[in-house]
This record gives sequence, C-alpha cells and structure tokens, in this order.
Amino acid sequence: MGFWSRLSGRAQREGELEREIQNHLDLEAEESGEYAARRAFGNVTIVKEDVRAVWSWTRLGHVWRDVRHGLRQVRRNPGFSAIAIATLALGIGVNAAMFSAVDAVLIRPLPYTDAGRLVMIWDEMGHIGFPKHYSTPAEWVEWRRQNMVFTDIAATESGEATLSGGGEPEQVPARKVTGNLWTVLGVHPAIGRVFTEDEDTRGARVAVISHGLWQRRFGGSPDVLGRTITINDGPYEVIGVMPPEFYFMPARDVDIWMPASFSPEHLTLFWWHDEQIVARLKPGVTLQQARESMAALSLRVTEGHVRPARKAVVVPLREELAGKTETSLVVLLAASGAVLLIACVNLANLLMSRGTVHRREVAIRAALGAGRGRLVTQFLIESLVLSGLGAFAGLAMATPVMRFLETLVPETMPSVRLTIDARVLAVSAAMAVAAGLAFGLAPALTGSRRALNEGLRDGGRGSTGAHSHWFQHSLIVLETALAVLLLTCGGLLLQTFQHLRQLDLGIRSEKLLTFVTPLFRYPDFDKRLAFVSAELDAIRVIPGVVSVGAISRIPLTEIAQTTQYLLAGQEPGATRTQDALSRVVTRDYFSTVGAGLRDGRFFDPSDRRSQTPVAIVNESFADRNFPGRSALGARFKFGATGPKGYSYTIVGVVREIRDRGVAEDLKPAVYRLHEQADQTGEAPSGIIVRTSVEPTSIVTAVRQAIWSVDKNQPLTHIRTVDDIVARQLSAPSQNTVLLGAFAALALLLASLGLYGVLSYAVTRRTNEIGLRMALGATSGDILRLFSRQGLALTIAGLAIGLGLAAAAARLMTTLFYGFEPDYLPAVAVVSLILLAVAAIASLLPARRASRIDPMRALHD
Amino acid sequence: MGRDRDKIELLRGTLDMLILRTLLVGPAHEHKIAKHIQRSTDDVLQVEHGSLYPALHRLERKGWLTAKWENRDGTRELKYYRLTTAGRKQLAVEESKWQRLVFAIARVDARAEP
Repeated sequence: MGFWSRLSGRAQREGELEREIQNHLDLEAEESGEYAARRAFGNVTIVKEDVRAVWSWTRLGHVWRDVRHGLRQVRRNPGFSAIAIATLALGIGVNAAMFSAVDAVLIRPLPYTDAGRLVMIWDEMGHIGFPKHYSTPAEWVEWRRQNMVFTDIAATESGEATLSGGGEPEQVPARKVTGNLWTVLGVHPAIGRVFTEDEDTRGARVAVISHGLWQRRFGGSPDVLGRTITINDGPYEVIGVMPPEFYFMPARDVDIWMPASFSPEHLTLFWWHDEQIVARLKPGVTLQQARESMAALSLRVTEGHVRPARKAVVVPLREELAGKTETSLVVLLAASGAVLLIACVNLANLLMSRGTVHRREVAIRAALGAGRGRLVTQFLIESLVLSGLGAFAGLAMATPVMRFLETLVPETMPSVRLTIDARVLAVSAAMAVAAGLAFGLAPALTGSRRALNEGLRDGGRGSTGAHSHWFQHSLIVLETALAVLLLTCGGLLLQTFQHLRQLDLGIRSEKLLTFVTPLFRYPDFDKRLAFVSAELDAIRVIPGVVSVGAISRIPLTEIAQTTQYLLAGQEPGATRTQDALSRVVTRDYFSTVGAGLRDGRFFDPSDRRSQTPVAIVNESFADRNFPGRSALGARFKFGATGPKGYSYTIVGVVREIRDRGVAEDLKPAVYRLHEQADQTGEAPSGIIVRTSVEPTSIVTAVRQAIWSVDKNQPLTHIRTVDDIVARQLSAPSQNTVLLGAFAALALLLASLGLYGVLSYAVTRRTNEIGLRMALGATSGDILRLFSRQGLALTIAGLAIGLGLAAAAARLMTTLFYGFEPDYLPAVAVVSLILLAVAAIASLLPARRASRIDPMRALHD
Repeated sequence: MGRDRDKIELLRGTLDMLILRTLLVGPAHEHKIAKHIQRSTDDVLQVEHGSLYPALHRLERKGWLTAKWENRDGTRELKYYRLTTAGRKQLAVEESKWQRLVFAIARVDARAEP
C-alpha cells in the first residue's frame, strides 16, 4: 500500500471505527441499558486514540526495528561491514570535499549585487595571439556611450602603489578604477565612502583601501578616514574601507583603489591595451544578445581607428574569476562521482553475492508472512544503515582532502578555508541516501523475489538465476569501464604535466633570486640609468652573488607587454599583424639567467646610447620574419614606428625564453638594451641575481645594498625563479595528483569487485566444480575456466572505458595547456595495469576453485 | 487496576493470543470476541474495550486477521474479524511463548517453596 493511498484511506477508516464502536455500544445497550453500556466501555475518545496510534505507529515501528536489525547485521558481519563502510567512506568523503571546493569556487554567491548579471568585456585580437586582450580607454568611452545592452560599464587599469612615510616603504597591489565601478558592481564600503564619477573626472587625490591594508597598516582604526597617506610620492586622502569579503579582478590581493582620472588624450587611445572592463547586463538582456550586440558595436567603433577592426568578447564574471579551475573542478568532480559510483556498484555486487548467505533468514521471514514490500524495505534500510555509517566515516576523511583542494582556488578569488558546513553535510546526507538506494535496490529486489519464490525449499545452498549473474557481470564491466576511463584521463594529465615540467624554459632556473624595485621615483632617464647601475653594483659585491642583471618584466610572469614593429622596407599597414613582446634589459641580463644564443652576440660594452641602437630578438621573431635566412643585420622600428622612431639593428638571436609563463605559447620577442631604450617608458625594474648560495639567504643583504643607494627604494615580489615555476605548475600537478588518486582508487575498487564476484561464483559452483573434476577435469581446466571469465569481463570493461576516455578527453582539452597528449602510451599502460590487476583478482578465486576436493564438494 | 478483586488484568501480549484463539472457531465481531473471552474464562479475565480495539487493529495490520463488514442477523452491519493463515501460525508462536512463560512461572513457584 502506497503512502498516498494510505493517507486517503484514513478518512474511510475513521468512519469505520466510529461505526464499529457505535455498533458495540448499541449491542451492549440492548443487553444492559445505554448508560451501563457507556460506563462499561469507558472513554470513547481515548479508545479511538489508541486505535489510531496502532494505525500510524506500526510502520514507524517497522522502520525502527529494521534500523536496529541493520545495525545488528553490521555487527554480525564485521568483515563485510568494514569493507562496505570503508568503501563508502572513501567515496562519500572524497565527494564531500570536492563538493565543498566546487561550492566555494562555482556556486557560492560572489560579493557583488546580483553578480550573475556582471560580465567582463575584452578585445578579440586572435590575429596577434590574444583571443581575449585588455581593452583600451577609447573603446571604453565609445562602448559606454553607444551600447544598448548594459546599464553601465566600468574600467580598471593596472597600478602599483608604494606607500611611504612612517616606517619602511611598502609596495602594495593597487588598481586605478573609474568612478562608476562601485555602482556597476553594486558594492558599498564597510566604513566611509567610495569616490564618485565627478571626483574621478576631476582627478581628486582620494583612495579607497582594502580591509586587509586597514588592519595591517592602520590597526583597524576608524580615524583612518580623512587621513592623508603618501602613495607613489603623492598625497592621497583615505575616504573609505571596503568590507573584508570584497575583491575584484584581476587578483584577490588588491589593497588600494584610486580614481583612474584618465586624461582627455588618454581617452582617445585605441592601442593602450591595459583596461579591464566590467559591465552590468540590462534587465531582460541575455548573455547571447549582449555578445552579438557588442561584437557588432565594437567593429563599428574601432573601424577607421585600428586595422583590422576588432570585435569585443563578453564573458560572465564568474567564468572569468574561476578560469581554468572551472574545468579542473568539473573534471575532478566527475571523477570523484565515478569513484562513488564504482563503490556503489561494488557493494551492490557484494550484497547480491551475500544474499545467498542471508537466504535462510529471509526465507523464514517470508514464510512468517512478511510481504515483498516489507522485505524490500528491510533490505534497503540495511543498506541505508551502511551508507549512513559510511558517510560519517567519510566526513572524517574529507577534511584532509579539503586542505589539499583549497590550493586549487584560483588567484583571482579569495583564498578559502574549506570546512564541513551545513551545505556539505546536506550534500553528504543526500549522497548517503542515494548511495544506499543505489547499491541496495538491486540486491533488495532480487533477494526478496528469491525469498518469496523459493521459500524454504532449497535451504541455504543452490543456484541463483542466470538473470542475476548477467546483471552482476554487467556491473563488473561498468565499474571496470569507469576505472579505465579515470586511469586513461589521469594518464593524459600525467603526460601533460611531464611535458610541462620538461619544457625548456630558455634559462637555468636554479639559484636565481628575483625581485622588483619599482622605478617611479626615477622618471628622468639619466637618473634612472645611474640608479640602476648603482644598485646592481651594490648587489654584485654581496658574498654569494655570482652575477646580477635587470629586466623590465621578470621572466615567466608577464603574458603581454607587447608592441608593434615595422621591418625596414615595409608599408606602415604591416604593423597590424606584427606584434612582439617588448623587454628592456641590462647588459648582464642574458648571462645572468643563462640564456642560449643561436646567432650573433649578446649586448656588450660597445653598445652605447645612440641614435642607431641595436636589438636582440628571439627565435620566434627571427623565424617568422626571416625564414631561411639570417636575421642578423636586419633593421626594424619598434613601438615608435613613425619617422622619429629609432631603427634597431638585430645583433643577436636568443634561444626561446618562456617570458610569458611556463605553459604559455611562445611569441616573437624583442630585447632592447636599457641604456639605448630612451624612447620607451619601460624600465628594468625586475632584478635577477644568480647566486652560488641558497638564493633566499641573501635577501637581507640585498635589501641593505639597495637601501645603501636609496633608503626610500621599495622592494617587492621577492621570490626565486624555481618558486615561480613551481607555482605555475601547481595547478596541472594538482590536477594530475587528484585525478591519479581517484583513478587508483577506482582501479582498486574495481579489482576488489571482480575478485568478489569471481570468488562468489566459485563458492556457488563448488558442486559443479566437484562434479567436473569427478568426471575428469584437471585443476588446469578449472583454473582456465574461471580466469577466462574474469578476463572476458575485464576486456569488455577495458574496451568501453577506452571509448569513454576518448570522449572525455575532448571535454578537458583546456587542462592539457595546448599540449596534445599521446593516446597510445596511455592506453597501453592502462591496459597493462588493468589486465595485471584483473589477472590477480581472478586468479586467486580460480586457484581456489582448482584446488577443490571433488569428494568434499559433492558431499556438502 | 481491575474493578473487581477476583478479576485478573490481562498480561501484555496475552490478549493477542486470546483473540487469535477465539477466532479459531470462526469469524466474530468485537463485541462477541470480548464476551467470548470473558465467558470462556468464567469471567476471570476482564477484557477492557480500551485495549481490545487497538489490539484488533494491530493484528489486522500485521496481517493475522482480516475484517469485513457483514450483516448476519439482518438488523445491522457489523465488522467481523477472521483469522488468516499467518494468524494461525502466529497463534502457534504465541501459544508456545505462553507455554514457556507458564513453565517459567511454575519453576519460580517451586523454588519459592522451602
């Protein structure tokens, strides 16, 4: 009887009870009078209550009894229970942890009003290698004026801020933002106020600071408001403090927001690619509409200013913040889901096998009148008890996994401390119920059917239908396929990671210390030259320093900073597809980092400040522009391509240095000598020190050396090149480790499953084996019989799994970082591992079968 | 407590057995069951209606009894309870339990004597 029909039957039963009691009273009254009848009966209402209690409580009573029965079963079969609970704990624990990470990065609301309506807008410049490039001030102005799809558009520009006055100068990440950023995001300061558009346009010297900076530098005191602080040697008034949860692109650690205060000329620039644009969709406008509208608008706006005219790319803010992590998390969540699925399949199989052990007991219950519904419920509650215990154990296991997953959170988002909160608990409970039903239902249905059909007839032993074997074997194939899927994907990630690790960085990364000395205090070219030369001299004499050089961007850390070039003899229009990384270096830079030379020479003392400067280009530049011939001696204009721009002569071709990042594509690059680079604002603020000692051990000495030259010079971003590399490889390495761990878990569970089913088959077919042996089959025959079965299941799973993996790999291409992993070795290795494991899992029971004593087997 | 001194209150669980045994002879309605138990034990066992109704419904739920509204004497429709096969088996179980109880009590008595 279903729940609803029981509920609707209730009114009818009430009526019947009423009638039944009334009849009784009537009969009694006929015998002894109405009053006596009522007196003898007692309180009618209480009797009715008692009856009603019987109606509802029997069912709950059963549930409670079944739970206790389930717990008894758990205690009675400690071996099975331990395996079941451990399997479930692994499955549920891993998934609970994965969920908490997914929740933190992809689900939990962002700290902006109606964040789902926020998008970022980029320039589409795929033709020079930037499918999503920073936008320009002029585009921001035009988009804002002409678009029909956004309520408003704000722009932010990079900025660093050096706080000085009172204590050591401190360099903090800062951002120059337009005055409407706050309303676009829909955010409010914790204390004070934010600046207005009016303040932005008239260039007010005001600053909004982060909660972190407020606490760290101003002790969290409210009188910071109105205080004047020195930023980049200029006075700024602190007007507001943002709440602790606030952060915004491009990084979680921005400490100061200042008005962008673009100059009128700046607002006309279509080539100043430094703006990050954020916009809020108008109500009712879809993302797709915004994309189409902005692509068209941007083409129209840039037409005539840049060639080719470019489209705009609209990306939801959430996607932007999560970045590649989104794919990692989705892939890992799917993988951990597969592990849980395998765990359930395994337990279903084990329970079905164990069903035989249980059978006598179930048969007795059925004989005593338990209906099929009752039996199924009882089976299910038993599996729910197991999955519930598994979930508890799993939660204990989830915490260490969470510690590991925390490091997956991208740098664009605030770091989180993952904990077992209400959401994780709810999801774990749901998983426990789902798992309990998933692995309990099939055994419950088959078990109860068997009990009802066969009753006590054949006692504890005997055969089960071919149907359930077929089902059990399909489950084995399924879990093997899932394990193969995870193993193969893990293999592909491992290959990718190996590839990334073995990439030639173009420099010798060990024992290199890097840091940044911002040079805004030296706007004058000659003074800057003098300071850089003096600080390098001061560092060079520190004990343990082998050599020192400087560059405008620390290698491996800056994806962009590019500019156009024009080769001698080319029409001016050629610049539109000619874009190269621009770096300014000191003379000792290449020797310090250990770069390789393909052609020509590095900078030497003969290169002096002059109207005919020289340049060193990388192999990409040489190969693209001078294929099949030497680049040496060729001349080109760089950045300033007009008549006044210098013409640079190529004197050397350097082997590729991964300036843009370990896993980033290579791009043409031009290196200019600092002393000759007076036509660019780029300055060699990044210092690189090659040491003979442990690089971090000289940090204090380096600080003293620089402050001996200029006591107000800030020093930031102190780290070793090895750290930079490790950090960039941490995401792919974590992906590999996690997916690898899930795959190993899946393999272990799948082989346990195979082992379990085959051992059960051996137990079940003991009679048959005895008979075969009595009729002349050798141990070898029996061994082959059972191993063949295991092998067939494994190969079926392998084939399906490899097919699935090919499909899955297409969904995770972003995790390959442009590398194309080779299937063949992955498939070969996975097949070998799987076959080896399956061989062990099937040989053990097969050997047991082959050693069965035929006489004993037939007697039993 | 019972209203009369010489009447014994039913032991928990015994009522189920008595109902089942009463219905062994044939279907009966509640009033008849109550009267039968009382009469067949020479009015020693007093059946409280307050416990008889819940017991009947409980046994019905467990599938030991079925019930049907019937008009047998031509005057009114009454709810007749009837023993099921499972109910017969249960009666055997209850009776053996009862036997054990009786033996156990008898042993306590024997030991109580000097």
